[in-house]
Amino acid sequence: MNALQRSILPALLLGLAFATTLGAEEKTALSIMTAVYERPQPADMKATLTMTLVDSKGKERVRALEQRLASFGGVDKKIMMFQAPADVRGTSFMNWSYAEAGKGDDQWIYMPALKRVKRITSDGKGGSFMGSDFSYDDLGARHPSRDDHVILGSETVAGEECWIIESTPKEAGDGYSRTVSWISKSRLIGFKRDYYDKKGALLKTLSVLETKTMGAYLMITRTEMRNAQSNHRTRMEFTAIELDTGIADEQFSERAMMKGL
Amino acid sequence: MNTNHRILPASALAFVMFFSVAVTGMAFADDGVELSGYGRAKAGALLSDGSLFLAETTLDAKLSWETGDSTLLVDVAVSERLGGSPELELRELYLRYSGDAVELVIGKQQIIWGKSDGVFITDIVSPKDLSRFLVPDFVELRQAVDGVRLGGYAGGHSLELVWLPLFSPGVAPAAGTIWAPVMPYPVTPTITAAALPELSIENGEYFIRYSFMGNAVDLSLMGGWFWNDLPSFAVTGKTMTPGVGITGITLQGEYYRTAAFGYGAAGAIGPLVLRSEGAMQLGKRYQGDFTVYPAGYAEKNSVQYLVGTDFSILGTTFGLQFIQDIILEHDDALVNERFTNTATVMAVRSFAHETLRVEALAYIGLDVPDALLKAQLVWKMTDAMELSGGAWLFFGDSGQFGQYDGNDSVFAGAKISF
Repeated sequence: MNALQRSILPALLLGLAFATTLGAEEKTALSIMTAVYERPQPADMKATLTMTLVDSKGKERVRALEQRLASFGGVDKKIMMFQAPADVRGTSFMNWSYAEAGKGDDQWIYMPALKRVKRITSDGKGGSFMGSDFSYDDLGARHPSRDDHVILGSETVAGEECWIIESTPKEAGDGYSRTVSWISKSRLIGFKRDYYDKKGALLKTLSVLETKTMGAYLMITRTEMRNAQSNHRTRMEFTAIELDTGIADEQFSERAMMKGL
Repeated sequence: MNTNHRILPASALAFVMFFSVAVTGMAFADDGVELSGYGRAKAGALLSDGSLFLAETTLDAKLSWETGDSTLLVDVAVSERLGGSPELELRELYLRYSGDAVELVIGKQQIIWGKSDGVFITDIVSPKDLSRFLVPDFVELRQAVDGVRLGGYAGGHSLELVWLPLFSPGVAPAAGTIWAPVMPYPVTPTITAAALPELSIENGEYFIRYSFMGNAVDLSLMGGWFWNDLPSFAVTGKTMTPGVGITGITLQGEYYRTAAFGYGAAGAIGPLVLRSEGAMQLGKRYQGDFTVYPAGYAEKNSVQYLVGTDFSILGTTFGLQFIQDIILEHDDALVNERFTNTATVMAVRSFAHETLRVEALAYIGLDVPDALLKAQLVWKMTDAMELSGGAWLFFGDSGQFGQYDGNDSVFAGAKISF
């Protein structure tokens, strides 16, 4: 798997280069999803992530964290450090994911009150990320080979012509029965994705709210996930993004988790 | 109360001054200054008669000032307990230099080692406040030590050296409180408190730890030459009454030197995190039959180890641990058995976008048997404020947990973090 593709921020990156190359290929659903998946990636990045959770009554809760990501020889490493809310400030998570098939992630947590780094189970990726409407799986890049893809049709979204592609898991046990994505034909940007629960009902919808071009990369900087069943939603915003700054392997250590980013 | 660490009530005014200065200072300081902490009110009552044994209000403020590679941190708390006068506690005050490969921390600091939850096997640097047994949150059991910690780092490897010129004792439950343990004597003894070791280089405490964090396993090796945090008790006098037997015992508390070395390891296999931790302590003092041991104790080497696992099922995180204490060269005159077996079971689950959290932790004595169950529900009303409530329940009639069977209690609290 390419560097960083399973990480939070990279999942929202879209390579511009594919907009020209894909035109020469046969536009099957799989080739489109593969082109999106195999986009070029920066070697590393830093960013601030702010998540705003909004309940059905409009009440908001804010989570903010700093994160650092890089890839080293088939191992994608990431540290996230919470800045808010106050009771979890300084708490950090570290995740190492491996290109090796079947090898699970290694994860650790540091809680400043306990002053100790603890290895934790990486199971339960279908669970909520920080209480938001995103699951850990939603924030990672899913390899196209794990799903069967079908082009359902075309539609214009925000002034851009899009493919509508349905993806159905090949194996049972996934969190969703299927997803439907709207992919820009000209830029290979995913504008929207619907997630369906195991009973086939619409569960939630991911919408892209803002994109920015940074060097060779087109960054999706604001998104929203809305749960259609609970009417709860989460806005996710990336700021202070730095790419290819040369983060060293030593920056993903027990000491880094305790010291802060 | 540990009077070594808490300043007398009148000094609570100093806290107010500190807090005021901190807030004012932040208004004028650069980005390197940060104030954080919490205010909390907590009350607990015994189920047996409804009496309040816990009623405290605390403001804990932590101020850090970071400039370049250096940091100054001070953590102070003021608490009012059971309507008494406010008490001021200096929880930490240290200076830290953080270089690329070296870190130096000087001052009053908490040093936490070990891989286990709620069990202290290689976590022997910072003493514990056990004045309320294991009932408080583990964060509150920790005490700071005065000394120097030097760390060296290279990739996933680290080496720490700790020198504590000042011995900081642990805190045992006070006599006359509901947490006073059952004493292993036929009559109530008269106890003379242990004297602290004299301040000298020779009386310092020394610790070393090597640790490695890797993709297959986390490993640590440690050793220490230190004073036992809690004193042993030597029998200095006995009163014998003809026809009755022993009618009086006098005891002298003594802190004593000991050494320990141990390991910690953790790794993941599939959905399981496996953990183990163990240590051997040399010359640990155990209370014994004073007709066999005139001093009232015997020095024995001992081993304590733990194996455990963490895993998740349907959104609930579980932790299981088995702990065994072994007294080497054991004999029947000792109060403790050769083997002491304990298990812990922990379960944590969050609901409603992490606004509700249920936690349960059980200590289970496998020999007596007996147990302690700590359970609580936490509701995060807002991002800053939370309410909590729960119970501390003891099971059994004897043993380290069963001896507190009359202390079953419930508690409630509110906390605001800033």
